[in-house]
Amino acid sequence: MSVLVAQAVSKHFGGVAALDDVSLDVRPGEIHGLIGPNGSGKTTLLNLLSGYYPVDDGSIKLGEIDLTAARVQRRAALGIARTFQKPRLLATLSVLDNTMLGCYPGTRAGFLETALALPRARRDYASARDRSVEILHGIGLGQILDRRARLLDHAEQRFLEIARGLAMKPTFILLDEPAGGLTEAEIKALSRIVLTLRDSGIGVLIVEHHTDFVFRISDRVTTLNLGRMLKHGAPEEVRRDPEVIRVYLGA
Amino acid sequence: MTDSRFRVAAIAVAAAAAIALPFFVADQYQLHLATLIATYWILVAGLNVVVGFSGQLSIGHVGLLAIGSYAFTILAGQHGVDPFIATMAAGAIGATCGFLLGLPSLRLPGFYFAMATLAFALIVGELSLAEQDLTGGGAGLAVPGFPAPFDTPGGFYWLVLAMAALVTWVTANIARLMWGRALVAIRDSEVAARANGVPVFRMKLLVFTFSGFTAGVSGALFASLQTYVTPETFTFELGLFFFIAIVVGGRGGILGPFLGLVLLTLLPEVVAPLARVGNFFYGALLLVVVLAVPEGIGHLVSTLRERFRPIKVEKQPVSPDLTRLATAIHAGKRG
Amino acid sequence: MLTVLITGLATGAIYAATALAYNVMFSTSKVLSVTTGHLSMLGGVFGSFFISVLKLPIPVGLAGATMVGIAAGLVTELVAVRRVLSRSDEHLWLLSTLALATMIQQAVGLWWGTEPKPFPRLIPQDFSAGLLDQKYWLPVAVVALIAVGLELLYRFTMFGKIFIAVSEDAFAARARGIATERVRALSYALAGVIGALAGFAAGQLTFAFFALGLTLTLNGFIALAFGGLGSNAGALVGGAALGLLSAIATYFFGGEYQNTIAVGLLMIVLLVKPEGLFGKKTVRAV
Repeated sequence: MSVLVAQAVSKHFGGVAALDDVSLDVRPGEIHGLIGPNGSGKTTLLNLLSGYYPVDDGSIKLGEIDLTAARVQRRAALGIARTFQKPRLLATLSVLDNTMLGCYPGTRAGFLETALALPRARRDYASARDRSVEILHGIGLGQILDRRARLLDHAEQRFLEIARGLAMKPTFILLDEPAGGLTEAEIKALSRIVLTLRDSGIGVLIVEHHTDFVFRISDRVTTLNLGRMLKHGAPEEVRRDPEVIRVYLGA
Repeated sequence: MTDSRFRVAAIAVAAAAAIALPFFVADQYQLHLATLIATYWILVAGLNVVVGFSGQLSIGHVGLLAIGSYAFTILAGQHGVDPFIATMAAGAIGATCGFLLGLPSLRLPGFYFAMATLAFALIVGELSLAEQDLTGGGAGLAVPGFPAPFDTPGGFYWLVLAMAALVTWVTANIARLMWGRALVAIRDSEVAARANGVPVFRMKLLVFTFSGFTAGVSGALFASLQTYVTPETFTFELGLFFFIAIVVGGRGGILGPFLGLVLLTLLPEVVAPLARVGNFFYGALLLVVVLAVPEGIGHLVSTLRERFRPIKVEKQPVSPDLTRLATAIHAGKRG
Repeated sequence: MLTVLITGLATGAIYAATALAYNVMFSTSKVLSVTTGHLSMLGGVFGSFFISVLKLPIPVGLAGATMVGIAAGLVTELVAVRRVLSRSDEHLWLLSTLALATMIQQAVGLWWGTEPKPFPRLIPQDFSAGLLDQKYWLPVAVVALIAVGLELLYRFTMFGKIFIAVSEDAFAARARGIATERVRALSYALAGVIGALAGFAAGQLTFAFFALGLTLTLNGFIALAFGGLGSNAGALVGGAALGLLSAIATYFFGGEYQNTIAVGLLMIVLLVKPEGLFGKKTVRAV
């Protein structure tokens, strides 16, 4: 089983080091929490893992495959899904259509086949639709399949992004502050969903500010501060670490 | 479902009306106008995929129209090539030029790309004036017609109608199947497109090349319809007209831009003062739409409904069905 | 050959002025307005209108043309930019400025006519001056003055400092109490002044012609892209380069290939160094 690994990565913006010699790995079937104060480099690390920025130093690997120079689309094709801090949805399309976008990596039909509605293109569409419907019902959005994405409230948008990520048949999913702006009840639903993802064998990396939520569901936790790794280990260890408390968790 | 059966019925009725049109128009001019709209639509349908779906703001497509027109005229008129073959050749040449134009410019940000297409249109105009031996320069060239039964106005109308229907069917496929969502992602959130494996540049280039093909075919039929082509026919304003029809009609759909095209072509015919004001009107209409209904008139109904929607339907909390979710995830497990 | 170079420099001056106007508007709004070329067109057309048609004294005509430029800049900001920037759709400002530019150009065409009309003599000088004719050195002198004026404005005035603050980080500027919307409007008015003055100064070279708007929007943009977006020095270099290249090409190949060569230049530059000669590479945020 392949592990997703960021090895000794560094990233500078201008003169500032957003990340300095950070290593992190995500295993299939586990939840790895990533916490830290604002500006500690959490989202930057996500962006490096998913390929939006190139690393300045270090490497990104998926098992044996070196992804360091791989572009975003290649990583998606290899099963690395992600959500974004501010949901990036297609406002004019429906919930179902947005989710079906996630099935794109699995499609095989080219331009001509699509233009002429040949069987392979129609099959891509049908299987994408069926899979997306099932996922949406599973995630709890089955009542609003046809609603336009711009009409969704915040929680629905976040869950939709996760649904889209799942449509990709991911082996890993990187969640960027999925609990941001959610109510207690919604966080509960989110927890149950993320645990189901883990139990299905997906490797989950969660960047979060909601520390209770993260400690509750994570198998491992990594803390970042000012671009460097602070503490790494089981949730209880990290929670009790004096440095982590001083820098982030507070008195 | 009744919704899709209604759609099929509506399309059937519209198709019947379109086919029967030559029999109930008042005069030749109206038939000519209808044929012109159908000819334009072949270009606009292809351009719609580029502008309305992938969000690339090409304002210079008139250049590709001109290339198609001249290609047809030179091949069929001066070298005696069969008009049908010449039309397909015009399409192929249009596609090639679209490809060559798109290759360097589709990587550029929006304004740069729009300016590149504008420059392209002006260059085509320049070259068609300058290359007198090829294009007849300012004097232009006479364009042959098609053989019977397409040599009558009615017959030619049906030929164009058939091509227009085919192109519409193709663009409907692109919109409806997976490419449609990928293109909208390119338009509205390139970040999301990439995150979902969409090959952004390759897709933009492919649809742009396709739009070059439709522009080339449209150019061939347009030239034959007008029976004479000069560089003056292919003004930048004409290219802008196609573009505005799409934006006013509504991006992200097919019916919208078609209605936009019909509206923009017919309004100056029906409302005389608009004819005098011409392109000013198109500019003003574009401005009004962009400021008031940016999604276009085609979406007017749904936009209004959303804005004046009564108190929202009672919100249901998101309640996942975990077993169903687990099954769905496992259904697609990678090997 | 000398005539060719002088002509090239003079036309290059207007392109440079258009590029400067682009920079001014872009720095406060991150918008490239399609109406930029029309600012100069209006300066030329209205200069000719006020002086030749209404027979007003030259300074009044100059002031009037500048007022029209300011008005056009402000209308662009108010109508085509302000209302549109708040929406999430990135393409909208391109569409709205395109619409406004079309309206301006067509309206002028309908009112002024579609033929280029002569522009009045501004300084008493007979027409046998050859290369020293004011139609060549007026645009160059005026644009040089504009460039210097802009530099002085940015370095030594309060407005200039505020302007730079807003252009570097609008969010931070607003947080410090700067009325960014008003600064933006003023910058568009300033662009109107630049465009109108350049168009007025170059009127004898270009004639008062409604179609100049789109031509200058395109050529000014080519100059801008060549020199680098955001760089005023680049605007001047780009304008000069484009003007000279076009003039030389016209001399050797005839005027029929002007656009082709200008765009060819642009394409080569964009392929080799996409951010232009003096431009900065931007890192896109995710």
